[in-house]
Amino acid sequence: MTEGHAAQHQADAMQVVMIGLGEEKFALDAGLVREIIDPVPVTKVAGARAFVPSVINVRGNVIPLADLRIRFGMPQLDDSADTRIVVIELELDGEPVLVGVTADKVYEVTEISQTDVQQTPRVGMHWKPEFIRFIAKWREEFVIVPNMERILN
Amino acid sequence: MSTIDPTEVFRQEASELFEVLEGALLDLGQRPDDRELVDSAFRALHTIKGSGAMFGFDKVASFTHEFETAFDRVRKGEIKPTQELISVALAAKDYIRALIEEPQSTDDIIGDGILDDLRRFVSSDQPAIAVAEIVEAPPLAPVESKQAGWHLYLEFESHILRNGSNPLDLLEDLCKLGPCFVVPVTDGIPFLDEMEPEDCYLKWDVKLHAACDKNAIDDVFMFVSDEMKLTLSPLEHVEAPAPMPLFQLLDEEPAPAVEMPAPVVEVVAAPVAEQPAAKAEPVSKPEPKLESKPEPKPEPKADAKAEAKRDDRGIATVRVQAERLDELMDRVGELVIAQARLTQLAASGSDLSIKIIAEEIERLASSLRDTTMGARMVPIGSLFGRFRRLIHDLSRDLSKPVEFVTSGEDTELDKTMIECLADPLVHLIRNAIDHGIEDTATRTANGKTEQGRIELAAVHSGAQVLVTVKDNGGGLNTARIRAKAEEQGLIAAGAVLSDHEIHQFLFHPGFSTAQTISALSGRGVGMDVVKRTIENMRGSIDLSTRPGQGTTVTLRLPLTLAIIEGLLIRVGEGRYIIPLSAVEECIELTAEDERSRGRNFLNVRGNLVPFLRLREIMTASGAPDQHQKTIIISTGETHVGLVADQIIGNHQTVIKSLSKLHSDVTIFSGATILGDGTAALILDVAQLVMLAQSKVEKQHISEAA
Repeated sequence: MTEGHAAQHQADAMQVVMIGLGEEKFALDAGLVREIIDPVPVTKVAGARAFVPSVINVRGNVIPLADLRIRFGMPQLDDSADTRIVVIELELDGEPVLVGVTADKVYEVTEISQTDVQQTPRVGMHWKPEFIRFIAKWREEFVIVPNMERILN
Repeated sequence: MSTIDPTEVFRQEASELFEVLEGALLDLGQRPDDRELVDSAFRALHTIKGSGAMFGFDKVASFTHEFETAFDRVRKGEIKPTQELISVALAAKDYIRALIEEPQSTDDIIGDGILDDLRRFVSSDQPAIAVAEIVEAPPLAPVESKQAGWHLYLEFESHILRNGSNPLDLLEDLCKLGPCFVVPVTDGIPFLDEMEPEDCYLKWDVKLHAACDKNAIDDVFMFVSDEMKLTLSPLEHVEAPAPMPLFQLLDEEPAPAVEMPAPVVEVVAAPVAEQPAAKAEPVSKPEPKLESKPEPKPEPKADAKAEAKRDDRGIATVRVQAERLDELMDRVGELVIAQARLTQLAASGSDLSIKIIAEEIERLASSLRDTTMGARMVPIGSLFGRFRRLIHDLSRDLSKPVEFVTSGEDTELDKTMIECLADPLVHLIRNAIDHGIEDTATRTANGKTEQGRIELAAVHSGAQVLVTVKDNGGGLNTARIRAKAEEQGLIAAGAVLSDHEIHQFLFHPGFSTAQTISALSGRGVGMDVVKRTIENMRGSIDLSTRPGQGTTVTLRLPLTLAIIEGLLIRVGEGRYIIPLSAVEECIELTAEDERSRGRNFLNVRGNLVPFLRLREIMTASGAPDQHQKTIIISTGETHVGLVADQIIGNHQTVIKSLSKLHSDVTIFSGATILGDGTAALILDVAQLVMLAQSKVEKQHISEAA
């Protein structure tokens, strides 16, 4: 997994974890992903920003649980049998931070080719462009590679 | 594990020795007659010299040697340690430290200058003063000059050989001091089948026929002194040096242990040689047949002392890396969480044996927790010691004589807290001297003592430690702070504010009333940083001042950063922890209080206590429980009630900090993990009280309108 970062700079391929949020597919850089767990009871944090509404216990650590659906203006679905929490590690202000991200479904770990990268279109997007690193093509579908640092800051 | 860099070990050891040395020197400034201090300073110097040479710090060794030589006259009581001498000695100490820590940045010229100063003080003879000291202390020198040598009894610990020390080498070193007469004591040797090949069973009885200094003997055993028992007594009779060759193992050697002189002196325990009470030891009388003698043990008095020393060794310290302690604490934290789950599981079942085991584990976990926390506790005195130098220097630089008084040095705090406290206290003490204490002229004009006074105290108060910095200076100038706050636009001119509120502006970033910026303070950075640091430690800071009398700054700190006792409550679906140290009492919210929607005050035994409905703050859904409970919390003088749905009970709370993503949430100070594995949030009591107060104020305003 640690090669993920290196791989993304190499021209050809990038290892990603493909997750589904609502109707969309997102590709998370596999280098960021620490683990994928089943849903656990969440603890609501009163007064927190809407996209990090709660905390969870992951192996004795209390980590925030982020909801990207709120950031992307998607409807929140109830947990289903497919719902998972993807634990990722980010650098925020120079410090590593563990964050859980709710995914409606986790598809697979795969490679997307850098050559399939499409420039983020300026028009026709109802999401903030800074949340998106780029859009890539994967099996005839467009997937979004989100910029997690931006989304969570 | 990586190999340990011996130089690093020396540096670490030296830095501790410097603390000892500095402390002793500063104490000596106050109590110049205390021989114990002189000795401890000298011992520290000596060890620095010895280990410095061993680790290749030749410059350190040679400089320290000069320093030591100069200081030796103080030790001998020939000159008195004056303030000037101590200042030079401190400078010398700093120079040695520089030599060790950053040898490139030092210059021999500085060192020579210091040594010249030192010699100048030391050579100016003041023999008159010495007399008193010689009377007080046992006359060391005269005894030494009379005696013909020393009688030593060496008993090494059995594992000494495994550490690479060779007693024979030590004996050889000893022989270099003068003619030695060495007799091995073989009675400790077990039968062959019980013998461990790597253990040392021999003991030695040595007569050293040399009028050398006791320190010279100590030097020989310097590096093994922890692993041996050395009993030392002066030889009174002038004997002809033993004609025997060294290490003679003949049976007809004298068995001197039988005639051990009465006053047996423990080297480490009593650094000052005792005067020989019994003078007529027939040391020279030979006693044949060593083997036939039963157990030539040292006499009981020596035994008792040795016992005491062994106890000392029992409580001796082990160096442990701080990270390992942190790791241990983490593990214990996880154990406590796991144990809480087990207890919950056991309570829900009916298996008696599981319940018994759960209880057992609960007890063990809690004592393990206490021990681990205890291991991280450090007496705050180690921190206080650092400030004495600061005050010494500041009071000299500002020419404000200041007396520095500390109390409660034994108060123990978590080591991380001690580290975090250093900087805030430096700020507070600087402020106290620079702004607090007036200059000598003003003090005299106001009828105060010329010497200012700064008190640094630590005291336990429940689950908190109070650290106070108190000066007897001019106090805060409330009018000036107010004027400055108005000038900076922090308050409207003419706003009605209490003195207490005005003083809070001191914690505002960039706020300074000092008219001139000195090297020490006045830039307005400091107090806000102090406040933030203290609050990050979940502590609080209070200021109280009396014009013309001085200012007291009180820091309230939790005992530890890792685990607290908490009260677990339920609000709607959520469960929360209130630090038990803040909880005053729990009462039921009466129906009358419940009805009175208009006011948020409780009547607690005649006192008006504002309360907050946690359901509103936590935006809890669902209907509130029928019987709402109120938990009265307090910070300092303020009491606030928190209304919850249910009080669940005590909870051992392992504090986990909230992540950066939740740094904007102020009402929670952290989170913990409950028995069922879910996370629960810990309420930040100080923030809730502030919230309650601001609500009360709003109410006042709306009433006034």
